[in-house]
Amino acid sequence: MAGFTVAKELRGRGFAGAVTIIDPAGVPYDRPPLSKDYLLGTRDQAGIQLAAGDWFKDQDITIITGTAVALEPDVGTVVLEDGREITGDRVVLATGGTARRLPIPGGDLESVLELRTREDADRLRAMLKPGARLAIIGAGLIGAEVASSALPFGADVVLIDPQDPPLIPAVGHELANRLHAMHPERGVDVVTGAPVAITADDGGTHHIEMVSGETIAADAVLVGIGIIPETRLAESAGLETDNGTIVDESQRTAHPKVYAVGDSSRIRRADGTLLRRAEHWEHAMNTGATAAAALLGQELPRHGASWFWSDRHGVHVEGVGSMAGEGTVIVREKDGEPSVVFRLDPEGFLAGAAAVDGGFAVRAARRIIDRRIPVDPAQLADPMVDLRKLAR
Amino acid sequence: MSEAIKVGTVDEIDEGTAKVVPSEETGTGEDIAVFHAEDGNFYALNDECTHETASLAEGWIEGVEVECPMHSARFSLKTGEALCMPAFIAARTHKVEVKDGEVLLFPNVNAEV
Repeated sequence: MAGFTVAKELRGRGFAGAVTIIDPAGVPYDRPPLSKDYLLGTRDQAGIQLAAGDWFKDQDITIITGTAVALEPDVGTVVLEDGREITGDRVVLATGGTARRLPIPGGDLESVLELRTREDADRLRAMLKPGARLAIIGAGLIGAEVASSALPFGADVVLIDPQDPPLIPAVGHELANRLHAMHPERGVDVVTGAPVAITADDGGTHHIEMVSGETIAADAVLVGIGIIPETRLAESAGLETDNGTIVDESQRTAHPKVYAVGDSSRIRRADGTLLRRAEHWEHAMNTGATAAAALLGQELPRHGASWFWSDRHGVHVEGVGSMAGEGTVIVREKDGEPSVVFRLDPEGFLAGAAAVDGGFAVRAARRIIDRRIPVDPAQLADPMVDLRKLAR
Repeated sequence: MSEAIKVGTVDEIDEGTAKVVPSEETGTGEDIAVFHAEDGNFYALNDECTHETASLAEGWIEGVEVECPMHSARFSLKTGEALCMPAFIAARTHKVEVKDGEVLLFPNVNAEV
């Protein structure tokens, strides 16, 4: 997503020079559907491509299917695994990350599944059969989405997480509770606790030993506990990394020829503050757009409060800004359940919001946050008040 | 040119909102959303987002753009152009006219840009 956006934005911003995308997977595709429509089989490989094959030809963007293993920044040369060398005036690292493995005995078993690539989704789908026991470790966005997607296959799903409920920093307590409670309602078995070891027997059954002493048997185990940024290319170039390749606010590394974007990059502000590395889809897009502008010496685009979404059990979840931090939480209810939550910072300005099937709420909240529009807590809580009006 | 469909009066569709004309009435096989944009004009696009299943009529209208309620893709109401990811394909436009206070939709007639 990040690398594709760089290419798309370079052309959109008038760059006529050569653009080459190097990716082991070839034509870039969108990852969010991997835990939803693509896993379900309702969208195929062509349906998740970020752009049709023709588009790359039309835009004169070359795609090289291959894996970059080294970068020589001074000459702008990228070395591929097969020995090919590609040289550019500028190099953008959009290397993403790899699924984090569980740091417990058996966490590194080849048969323990992860979900990061199309092949991962294909492998997981092949395991989803009526009566198949799927254990998911990590009930964050991917874990919860896969739990939901596995149900129509008739799989018996166990969802394991040490937190009950997870996702509080993303959506606040009230919605985290509501969302986590949906799992057992839909037939997912929720287990709260930490796994300490995984073993696989000769029959292919996995046994997850929990800290409580309980053992969970499963035909397939999926771990969804975040990613580790892929920074080996940056390291090969001698660039600074710290849980991500360090870049400035224009996505440029300390080397003037090398930029980094998306999940693998981490921004250090001009004042020295190191930001948390973001892993959301929109962040990938935004950092790609910023890098393209910076590469062309154009004014950098301004991005508003961060935004993410998740789809599970037939509901659409969105969050904007940050629900984690000091301040006041305000809950707007619908049909007796929390529907939208807002966090006001200690000064009383809106800092974050999250919603389940919230309609306009998150779009309104985003504008209120970005424009620092003063809001009345009573109006935020009142379901009769149209949030659109508060945002104008 | 196809027959105009009376969508309603100008007063019935508030600025910043949209009304869906169902496929049974449009005759195009697709629902069409008629938007009252913030420039005061009316525009029409196929209602379904070109990215995934979502109704653009339920989207956020700002200026002469609409933002999809699901994944925040934005479209130009004038040209249908997809202005940001995750949408990539333009939304189909349809001509809208206002005559004697009535909003008239011309399905499958491209909007004049």
